[in-house]
Amino acid sequence: MIPVWVLTGFLGSGKTTLLGRLLKSPGFARTAVIINEFGEVGLDHELVETSDESFVALQTGCLCCAVRDDLVLTLETLLRRRATGEVPPFERVIIETSGLADPAPILHALMTQAAFVARLAVAGVVTTVDAVNGSQSLDRYPEASKQVAVADRLLLTKTDLLAAAASGLSERLTALNPAAELLTACFGEIAADQLFGSEAVPATLERWLRVSQAAHARRGGQHHAADLTSFALVRKEPMRAVSLTLLLEVLAEHVGSDLIRLKGLINIAECPERPAVIHGVQHVFHPPAWLERWPSDDRRSRLVLIGRNLRPAWVEALWAALETEVGEVSDGSHASGQRGAELRPGPRPPRALFPAR
Amino acid sequence: MKAAIPDDVIVLLQESLAAWCVPGVISQKPDGSLELCAAGTRIQIARAPAGLPFRWLVGVGELRRPVSGLPGLLRSVRAALDPNFRPLPVRIAALPLAP
Repeated sequence: MIPVWVLTGFLGSGKTTLLGRLLKSPGFARTAVIINEFGEVGLDHELVETSDESFVALQTGCLCCAVRDDLVLTLETLLRRRATGEVPPFERVIIETSGLADPAPILHALMTQAAFVARLAVAGVVTTVDAVNGSQSLDRYPEASKQVAVADRLLLTKTDLLAAAASGLSERLTALNPAAELLTACFGEIAADQLFGSEAVPATLERWLRVSQAAHARRGGQHHAADLTSFALVRKEPMRAVSLTLLLEVLAEHVGSDLIRLKGLINIAECPERPAVIHGVQHVFHPPAWLERWPSDDRRSRLVLIGRNLRPAWVEALWAALETEVGEVSDGSHASGQRGAELRPGPRPPRALFPAR
Repeated sequence: MKAAIPDDVIVLLQESLAAWCVPGVISQKPDGSLELCAAGTRIQIARAPAGLPFRWLVGVGELRRPVSGLPGLLRSVRAALDPNFRPLPVRIAALPLAP
């Protein structure tokens, strides 16, 4: 599987400067970069030079709008040309979005294309935030907040210009997305593997687990930033697999458009020795990834949600009620002691375990 | 006498009204069913009798429809309260999750 990273960040936040530096570094070898620019004539690709084994493909238009299909086509073409030896055998793909892009539809495209399932895997989202103008962008442009909210790693840029402002901005970014790793770069200087290294994924998981526990321990377990909410839910009892699918279905149906990011480490009752990692963006969920073992002695299920106008008490009540109902069905009991009906999918035929809309 | 509705379902319905920003009142009737009054609509919610292939009966006006589980119950209630609500066009099937 070839890891695909999405590099996003608001206009002028330093994405292209960063790529320009990274593409010349040995640690960034064998990387295919897709640069997306908003406008009919692209310039950014002229500003970056590549090493021998890396290369850049260009798209114009906003990736999250009309050219989403083009992105799929570009990736398919790259994979085909890689197979025939027409391009270097890249081992990593970076998609740089335009500064105005909403990254969620791009992630949807990557997560739901059947053609990519066995060949590409979304490794994560890196979002650049400008230390000078970042706060203003967050105030004025919802796209900037969303870019921060979906990030796995946040990179503060231009800190050489305004280090003092960056400290206040850091707190704001942490409030928006407490689970994201916050890194700093001056003049685009940062090691490639620090940003796009796949070996860092277990560390990412451990970090957001720590954050989820800390958030849960705080009163209400909830952060607020602008109209975004972030909170963690923790449950001691293992969860039945059916309850998990129903929980995700209800979340997708009722708050899908407001659910910016969901991550979870779930103790599945049918497989308690191997935790399931779930990951979703709006109404699209990755199939669960199964860890070989629990990362610590803590085997509680933990769910972190980031979104707009989400209500933790509702999600908690939903989780509890679904567990009760599925438990009744599994045990063959009804509240009155009668035998209950089997839980079935809705009136339309089921299509997939974690389908796209 | 209908089967009593579990407390956590009542809590879920109350929280759902709050989450959807719809002020309303939920009351339990002597026969164990619920009456939910919100947005000018009165909804009856009862456990389905045993032996039927669904778990809930949701009544709005003269219309009464069966639903198979809590996702369907929430979908029916919200659709009755919010004419702009559009249910998810696909279902997530309850398939085994073996690693």
